[in-house]
Amino acid sequence: MPKEGILKKREVDKMTNLENYVQAFCETLEVSEEQLTGLKYQDVPLWDSVGHMNLIARLEEVFDIMMDTDDIIDFSSFEKGKEILGNNYDVVF
Amino acid sequence: MDMSLEGRIRKDILDAAKMVGPVGAHIGPSLSLVEIVAAIYKEFNPKCDSIILSKGHGALGLYAVMHQFGIITDEQFVSFEQNGGEFPGQPSRSPNNQIVYSSGSLGMGLPYAIGLAEAKKQKGKVYVVTGDGELNEGSNWEGAMLARQLNLDNLTVIVDHNGMQSDGKCENILNVNIHEVWKAFGWKTVQCDGHSIEQLQCMLKDKTDGRPKVVIADTIKGKGISFMEGNNDWHHCSLSEEKYNLAVAELEETYGL
Amino acid sequence: MDFEKNNRMYSLLGQRGTFGVVLNEMAKENDSIVGISADLTKTSGLDRFATNFPQRFYNVGIAEQNAVAFAAGLADQGRNPFVCTFSNFATLRSNEFIRHFMAYMGCGVKVVGLGSGFAMGLFGNTHYAIEDISVIRSMPNITILSPCDCMEVAKCVEFCSQYDGPVYLRLSGKNNNPVVNKRDYSLRIGKGIVCSEGDDIILYATGSMVSVALNVAKLLENRGIHAKVINIHTIKPIDKQLIMDNKDYPIIVTMEEHSVLGGLGTAISETLAQCSYHGRVLCMGVEGNYKNPGTYEYMMEQNGLTEDKIFERIIEELDA
Repeated sequence: MPKEGILKKREVDKMTNLENYVQAFCETLEVSEEQLTGLKYQDVPLWDSVGHMNLIARLEEVFDIMMDTDDIIDFSSFEKGKEILGNNYDVVF
Repeated sequence: MDMSLEGRIRKDILDAAKMVGPVGAHIGPSLSLVEIVAAIYKEFNPKCDSIILSKGHGALGLYAVMHQFGIITDEQFVSFEQNGGEFPGQPSRSPNNQIVYSSGSLGMGLPYAIGLAEAKKQKGKVYVVTGDGELNEGSNWEGAMLARQLNLDNLTVIVDHNGMQSDGKCENILNVNIHEVWKAFGWKTVQCDGHSIEQLQCMLKDKTDGRPKVVIADTIKGKGISFMEGNNDWHHCSLSEEKYNLAVAELEETYGL
Repeated sequence: MDFEKNNRMYSLLGQRGTFGVVLNEMAKENDSIVGISADLTKTSGLDRFATNFPQRFYNVGIAEQNAVAFAAGLADQGRNPFVCTFSNFATLRSNEFIRHFMAYMGCGVKVVGLGSGFAMGLFGNTHYAIEDISVIRSMPNITILSPCDCMEVAKCVEFCSQYDGPVYLRLSGKNNNPVVNKRDYSLRIGKGIVCSEGDDIILYATGSMVSVALNVAKLLENRGIHAKVINIHTIKPIDKQLIMDNKDYPIIVTMEEHSVLGGLGTAISETLAQCSYHGRVLCMGVEGNYKNPGTYEYMMEQNGLTEDKIFERIIEELDA
């Protein structure tokens, strides 16, 4: 693939990854996109201990990864989650 | 004059105790709670209420009351303590015989009754008969806290307050003022003569302002037979022909022929 | 419910979290379900249930005996109460209450024991439940369930929600509970499940030990030893037929996160003795005195319940 193509694919991946990430939050925690910035664990009723595992299970499925226990515990906000997925699981945003 | 209800129930107890012979029966505890159980059955609605005899060793007293109230037949009553029978020395659950609760191990009736009462809120009443010695068991106090928390105004505990337990006087074993203890647990606490059906009925009818209620019924172990009263030798024993005749003669004098 | 779709979430939550989620779901359809906690609502995964069904949820305080007796009263009025607390307290502190109300009177209480075996880790010996099966098994009437993974927990809860008799449901293992069943299946109470076939040796396991047994089987396979692995999710009534049908193995191994006295190993040995089994039964479980506590993994290692330790013991036995 020519260089331009690779870059383009990466851009597309970035887009889809973010979309998928946002969609996982919105669907499992029943929140709107506007609520996501700064959203933290236990900020909304469905992001409780059960909802947390529901969210993690969904993200694992979407990105085809298996997360470590430490990362699952550290996953404390919308932004922190992006950081963890980016740094430890090669998900580009 | 005809023998009064209290007398006839006591006569039943003596008859059954004599009938079973050397295996013996809990005579003293049964004589103690005659009026308590009779008063409950007078207030009782069989369609929706429950009676829990937590002091299972008062079983013979319960059966005798049920017999006199026509709840169980003569035939059922004389099967008391028969091998393999449905009316053992401590009650064993048999819905066909109107016995809902198995007892024998102390301190279990109240927490069970709380479950019944919670499910029957606004629908039916639950009466629990405990001994005062039985209140040594901590599980009663786990239950006392929960019943208060759930505001079970359809639950009434009647303490057969005869001041005796297996090894002697309650006050010499664990000396507590049970009236104050129940009050401290937040229960509506009343006290009366536990050998007056009329007074007991009055206490059972008394409205409770949303709290569970305890009636401390002052009683005498072995009530009605002078040589049994307050005498722990009659807690569980057999009844000879001679003692039986003496006892019945006393009953006739006190409660009519 | 779609157990398969939720399987990864269940696994992440562990057995007790799964219990809470599934009970909450079942309660939406079934009005008779009641949740009772002895002051461990969150720990039991019951926070959602408590929020959604405040009229059907009771925290009776730190009073396990009371929890069982209270539940019995509710059960006799047509409710289906689930009493949840750590297994040791559930079965030992309230033991006589279980005997009286569930075994003797037959009240349809469901006692759910959380954190069985060594799952309580550094909470220590007071919080381990390694005698619970033993003390319940000798009582009549009570069904004992010990699910191998979170999907099986979900299926056991589904069974309990429709069953009106008394049950002890034993939950074991930690969060991130290993998945034994990837696909949904039919759970038949009282019928063991053959997880893998093999002619040389047979491994019976229950609860958390089923996934360990499957790993042991792989290690044995590498040595050319073919192991049959059976998941005994129902410890009582034990699947006598299955045990008798499989008595032609020279060595039978039982594996449980529980004392070797009175649990799965005993139940299987009793059955084998009755059918004149002449081989050897190796009971893998907890033996001897209470040990100084540690993490879950440490305790499993100390008690010889890891796949490597069990593999070594089996090899020693085969070489002997």
